[in-house]
Amino acid sequence: MKSRSRRWPILALCALAAAGAAQAAMTESEARRFLDEASFGPTDATVAAAMASSRADWLAQQFTRADSDYAGYTYVNPNPKLGCPAGSAPTCRRDNYSIFPLQRQFFENALGNPDQLRQRVALALSEILVASGRQIHQPYAMANYERIFLADAFTNFRRILRDVTLSPVMGDYLNMANNAKGNPARGTTANENYGREVLQLFSVGLVMLNPDGSAQRDSQGLPVPTYSQDIVEGYSRAFTGWTYPPRPGATAHFGDPVDFESPMIAFAAQHDEAAKTLLGGVTLPAGQTPAADLEGALDSIFNHPNVGPFIGRQLIQQLVTSNPSPAYVARVTAAFDAAPRGDMKRVIRAILLDPEASAPAAPSTYGKLREPVVQLVRLFRALGGRSDGVWLLRQAAALGEPVFSPATVFNFYPPDYALPDDPGLLGPTFGVYNASTAFVLSGALAMALGPNGIAADPTVAGASGSRIDLGPWQGLVADPAGLAAQINRVLFAGAMSPALQSTVAAAAQSQPAAKPLARVRAALFVAAMAPEYLVEH
Amino acid sequence: MKPPSSLRSRPAQGGAPYLRNGRAALTSNRRRFLLGAAAAAGSLGFLGSARAAGLAGSDYRALVCVFLYGGNDGNNLVVPTDSAGYAAYAAARGNAAAGGLALQPSTLAPLAGTNLGLHGALAPLASIWNQGQLALQLNVGTLAQPLTKAAYLAGAAARPPNLFSHIDQQTQWQQGGSGLALPSGWAGRVADLEGPTAIPAVISAAGNAVFINGATTAGLAVPAHGAFTIKGFGPTPSSNPLYGLYTRLLGTPDPNVEVTAAAAVMQQALQASALLDPALTTASGTAGYFAGQNNSLAQQLQAVAKVIAARSAIGVKRQIFFVSLGGFDTHTDQLHRQDLLFGQLGPALKSFHDAVESLGVGPQVTTYTASDFARTLQPASGGGSDHAWGNHHLVLGGAVRGGLYGTLPQLALGGPDDVTREGRWLPTTAVEQMGAALATWFGVGAADLASVFPNLGRFPGPNPAYFG
Repeated sequence: MKSRSRRWPILALCALAAAGAAQAAMTESEARRFLDEASFGPTDATVAAAMASSRADWLAQQFTRADSDYAGYTYVNPNPKLGCPAGSAPTCRRDNYSIFPLQRQFFENALGNPDQLRQRVALALSEILVASGRQIHQPYAMANYERIFLADAFTNFRRILRDVTLSPVMGDYLNMANNAKGNPARGTTANENYGREVLQLFSVGLVMLNPDGSAQRDSQGLPVPTYSQDIVEGYSRAFTGWTYPPRPGATAHFGDPVDFESPMIAFAAQHDEAAKTLLGGVTLPAGQTPAADLEGALDSIFNHPNVGPFIGRQLIQQLVTSNPSPAYVARVTAAFDAAPRGDMKRVIRAILLDPEASAPAAPSTYGKLREPVVQLVRLFRALGGRSDGVWLLRQAAALGEPVFSPATVFNFYPPDYALPDDPGLLGPTFGVYNASTAFVLSGALAMALGPNGIAADPTVAGASGSRIDLGPWQGLVADPAGLAAQINRVLFAGAMSPALQSTVAAAAQSQPAAKPLARVRAALFVAAMAPEYLVEH
Repeated sequence: MKPPSSLRSRPAQGGAPYLRNGRAALTSNRRRFLLGAAAAAGSLGFLGSARAAGLAGSDYRALVCVFLYGGNDGNNLVVPTDSAGYAAYAAARGNAAAGGLALQPSTLAPLAGTNLGLHGALAPLASIWNQGQLALQLNVGTLAQPLTKAAYLAGAAARPPNLFSHIDQQTQWQQGGSGLALPSGWAGRVADLEGPTAIPAVISAAGNAVFINGATTAGLAVPAHGAFTIKGFGPTPSSNPLYGLYTRLLGTPDPNVEVTAAAAVMQQALQASALLDPALTTASGTAGYFAGQNNSLAQQLQAVAKVIAARSAIGVKRQIFFVSLGGFDTHTDQLHRQDLLFGQLGPALKSFHDAVESLGVGPQVTTYTASDFARTLQPASGGGSDHAWGNHHLVLGGAVRGGLYGTLPQLALGGPDDVTREGRWLPTTAVEQMGAALATWFGVGAADLASVFPNLGRFPGPNPAYFG
């Protein structure tokens, strides 16, 4: 308590300063930096809008926007042999039994739709509360799942947790659907998959946390586990009795066929009615309904003190920096914990309006290698590129991030992936960056900035291809330093190092003066390949 | 492609080989030799001294880790075939027709000379067993120290942290121990002993993994198929002035740690590309052994076989490879899903075994499996099983002395080997004992084993004698 009272005046000062900065007008550089964190990257138009506003007002406006949706995907039979019978178009399976159409729409939305903050937070949540198109193939199913994050991004974490838990997609992915109570005659137990991962990955994590995100340790210095195997079994039993909703017109029964159109439904007969011991000493009494047990179980999770630092730190890593200071995490935890607990708008404001988000406390360890999806979309947005999403989704996959389709529930990369060469620091996105994907990235950037763009895929209805028109840049090539300065402004928010500025100017000059577009391409390619570009910092 | 001029011309610092952007030189405990001896002629003297602690032997040897992500159900990898043993197994696993997991005896591939059979989809490995080149390590797993069931239940002895958690148990398997305060993997620490090599000694065809990085060496991730070259600088980057500008830029120090790390990844890629791209893209005589197998594991093992085929040109005489197959987290529908996965694993391992034999290095290549953990003997709702502990694994190759190592747990729910009620086996062999046996064959001297497996000393007794 003593230390808290000593720190309080400092915290109050920080809060005042933050409030001031949050309401202040931004310079162009500040606006571009802010939009890197709060959107899929700045465009000239969004920079102008942000500069005419303030950080706080821009967020307030974004909280009201809801332009993106994944509507229009219709039910398909779970059996692809029935959904795409012999004689179907060759693209039938791709368009109905892979999430290709959904991934494509994600990129189209991210490139152009104005509800940037909602989409960006939704992507972050989709990487924390993971279900995957690798296992759930139907686009309508994964669309319904990803709509949870678009719809709930600015609501409350308790609601997100409930909507995810009752989603038939999650039910299928982590086997809560058709999870029957243990059957002594058959020798089966309740399925532990969801009961374990909802704790480990979606809410509280493995070890007890302090509000600043650091691990609590016992007298021997070992991290204190958050829960035991018995607790996992308690949740597994609490989550028994749920199944897929019935098809329209069909009679519901436990073991309904796979259907992803509405939340799961419960059957008391398949629910384990014995008492359950849960986190934090919570006990669910015997004899409760499946719904009562589910709500009680989710309350016990949501009210655990780990949720603020566990989820807050990951959202900071997704939006701002791989290695937030403990004080930054503690400020976001405080925002999560304040009444009403779990308010997402308050958490997002705390993350994006924090002093550390605009003025790093420790510049040498600040920032993050952009995840592939953001790396690609940002370049197209900054340079006014157009894309139907097809090429982008394929490149992202080749770079290790097939959006909404990670290999496992552990996402494309774990949040505690150690930064190469600095194992004391984290570098989550380095989990998919290596020699192999570095070369893939070189190819993607070369194609994106190439002279011909990427042609439309003729097998995709309505495809228009992908293209960045560099024509408007040609006028700058007579002045290589001026070209470098413009690239510095648009791609680097004015923070390009002197070494890179001279490299970019020299790159332009390495191409014939008679080929102005080649000069622009060379300059932009070297700039976009520069490590100081790939890492937002 | 020649090494980029900026890298070739970079002076060695104080006689030491190239260090990442100069910065690592300040923190020698964290430095990694991303670029090898070939990058700096001045480093030969240093190399000589580093070799003093290196790996024994002058022949070529390769170790291949096949990681089965998700937690493979070892209880159905190997199944008792004697009547009493099978009856106990079937009673606990339950009838498949009623959501149980018992395999039918008629589907098993008998292991001659034992009372055990392999899962039928692994039948291609039976011939390797019959040649005496397949070892089965029974009930191996993560341990913090030797442990009895009574001590486990009483909480009287240290357990591995975060048992039954995928990522933690994967990490402990790949680190080669439990509760280690080390971020590195055991293959990486073996490479640390050897010091800098022309290309990294540890190569993954399965992306990044804890296993491949040491304290001073970084493993290399290569594509399982396709070219391994930089794009955008034309067919001969080294003659493109733009490429010279770019590589000089990569060598420019930057104060930010992630910028530095990103630069190092590309530098490592460029350094390895010259030797590895030809190896990976040149057709080798081994392709035929993998005919008809289009799955990812077969592609990865085929890439490994290509690198082994090019061992003379590459000039790294001790290599550790990492490949993986995912999807073993069979909480539901296990019989079907494991059948499909083993249907990839069995043929791919057999093809790889035959391919390296055709290269004349059969006795110089050892392949083994690893996985997060085993799965409960008792089935879970939905025809699957949950996360467990001690597991059974394969070790195979021309140098392997085939047979059974360790003991099969008593297949009884709540029995003497089960620390819960659902069939989670207390391991009787530690991960580091299995690893030490492999590392010793690979050339790690007895005095160096403790640096690779820090907790090895806690497990008395001989390590498994897979190699006679």
